[in-house]
Amino acid sequence: MDKSKKWVIGIFVVAIIAVAYSISKMDSLGPSQQVSIEPIKIGFIGPLTGDAANIGQNSRAAVEIAVKEINQDGGIGNRPFEIIYEDGQCTGNVASNAANKLINVDKVSLILGGACSGETSSFAGMAEQSKTVVLSYCSSAPEISQAGDYIFRNYPSDLYQGSFSAEYIYNKLGKKKIAILYGKSSWGNGVKDVFVQRFNELGGTIIATEGYEQTSRDLRTQLTKIKSVNPELVYFLGYTEASIPGMKQAREIGLDVSFFGGDVWDDSKIWTDVGSAGEGAMYSVVYAPLNSDFKAKMKNSVGSDEITICTPQAYDAVKLIAKVIEKVGTDAEAIKNELYKTSYTGGVSASEITFDSNGDPVGANFIVKVVRNGEAIEAK
Amino acid sequence: MDILPQLIINSIIAGAIYTLIALGFNLIYGATKFFNLAHGVVVAIGGYSFFYFAKTLGLNIYVAVIIGVLLVGFVGYGLNKLVYLPLRKRKASNMVLLVASLGAFTALQAIIAILFTSQFKTLSHGVGIQRIFEFFCGVITQTQIIIILTAILVMVGLVLLLYKTHLGKAVRAISDDEEMARIVGINTNKVIGYTFFIGSAIAGLAGILVGFDTGIEPTMGLSLLLKGVIASIVGGIGNIYGGVLGAFLLGFVENFGIWKISGEWKDVIAFALLIVFLIFRPKGIMNK
Repeated sequence: MDKSKKWVIGIFVVAIIAVAYSISKMDSLGPSQQVSIEPIKIGFIGPLTGDAANIGQNSRAAVEIAVKEINQDGGIGNRPFEIIYEDGQCTGNVASNAANKLINVDKVSLILGGACSGETSSFAGMAEQSKTVVLSYCSSAPEISQAGDYIFRNYPSDLYQGSFSAEYIYNKLGKKKIAILYGKSSWGNGVKDVFVQRFNELGGTIIATEGYEQTSRDLRTQLTKIKSVNPELVYFLGYTEASIPGMKQAREIGLDVSFFGGDVWDDSKIWTDVGSAGEGAMYSVVYAPLNSDFKAKMKNSVGSDEITICTPQAYDAVKLIAKVIEKVGTDAEAIKNELYKTSYTGGVSASEITFDSNGDPVGANFIVKVVRNGEAIEAK
Repeated sequence: MDILPQLIINSIIAGAIYTLIALGFNLIYGATKFFNLAHGVVVAIGGYSFFYFAKTLGLNIYVAVIIGVLLVGFVGYGLNKLVYLPLRKRKASNMVLLVASLGAFTALQAIIAILFTSQFKTLSHGVGIQRIFEFFCGVITQTQIIIILTAILVMVGLVLLLYKTHLGKAVRAISDDEEMARIVGINTNKVIGYTFFIGSAIAGLAGILVGFDTGIEPTMGLSLLLKGVIASIVGGIGNIYGGVLGAFLLGFVENFGIWKISGEWKDVIAFALLIVFLIFRPKGIMNK
């Protein structure tokens, strides 16, 4: 009796709140549609916690700077620009829930993100079906090229990075017998596959391939096995969180060959943390023409010189989106069509951003950085 | 080069870490009979409180370890007092308690991320400073030796506590039959509160040690908890010796399992072990 009474009251309360909410929503919607000062909202997905959180947080800071600048200049067609931030945790199902919320609850026409390839892949299908534009500032897994008509990215595919690294290691460094250690993620698998193919084509031999769970921090046994086959170099594809213990554990067990990593190693945190274990490590990274103005703004916002990978791309993506929405409005299909035609110059991530028919950026310029005394500098 | 000695060392290190998680988990499970998932997050709280006291406030590391461990104990105690105890008094099922502990896990993990950011942090100062010892072609660091010794000491301490003290007797009585324990005059809620304190403090210590060995991050608790739970189930849930046995068995199986096959199979092997035990020996190695 008592219980059922409570239930009835509970349902009533929920119903009243729902009705009141929808009425208040209607009230606020009604007049604002006429004067149209309702903010233009888009979604953002990135790893704000968990693996690669460093990249997500840093990118978010750049996005906030870009949004602030746009709003200071009067917003988009006099409407303020607003971003709804969601945490994708670099994990498929979390990002997929976040996208679900953005698409179905917030009804955004565009999602900026995800960052990790696993995030973007998890909701690309959903976005394509609901005709929501996705512009990823960080995902590099090759399969995202084929993810759909509404899926874009301004970060180059791993096809470029994997083969670039294979050529650099084989030709420039002259290492022909190498081992691979990779984290099991869309990104790790993506780069690894392309790398293996290109490295074998060039005539090199991969004498060991060891993977690990992305969340694993104990890589000792994998490293022990790698040590036992004596490679000339270890191609290590790991995010910050596994790379730090991984490199330390390698030195602890006496694996003293040099490491070569991917663009996620462009994170100063790794090199201050691993100390001498990281000396001489190299990695490939997308060349970004950062200007001093952008660097100053980032320093002002995050309080350090830290600009991780994807941060310049995130900043440019916001500016690019604002430009496109200004021109064609908030209709997703119009935004999509315009993106294929658009060309954005003067950014901090590339001299020019244009998209090919897959929604991938045209052209990719990689450089190699080497770690000396805890600092990554461009290798000649 | 023969990698066998190094594999054995790697397995023992992993086993020792899982032992520390499984001991506390089993102690709490024994007394309450529910899966306290928040046990994972108290590991992270241990690592972070040490980080705060030792690195941010600059306290002596031994003092920081003691404060950190006590603090985590109080967190565990507080969780029981504020969340689980009221639910138990209302005769909530173990499923409800499990869901509540999952809620506590998620909420506390988020709070850590808010307070300390989610960046990966290391507690030790780079390589080279740590002493490295060699054993028959295998190497082990000072931290890892400390982890192994701690695991043994904690186990011995816990056994002494359970079998030589009044509190231990009370805990065992509750493990056997809570209702009966209450009838004979044991203040079960109080004793369960103590087990939460002790179990969580052990987990906190594990968090600090793992932080020294690899590093800390807010999400570190989940994978450690999962391994601790596998160790507990394999060894015999609620059984102290069983937890230790299960932890080392898991450490050896997952490290030797990837000897001849690629490393990405490590977790597959760990969870396959769990499933095999659940099907063929659900009560674990140490049948009660």
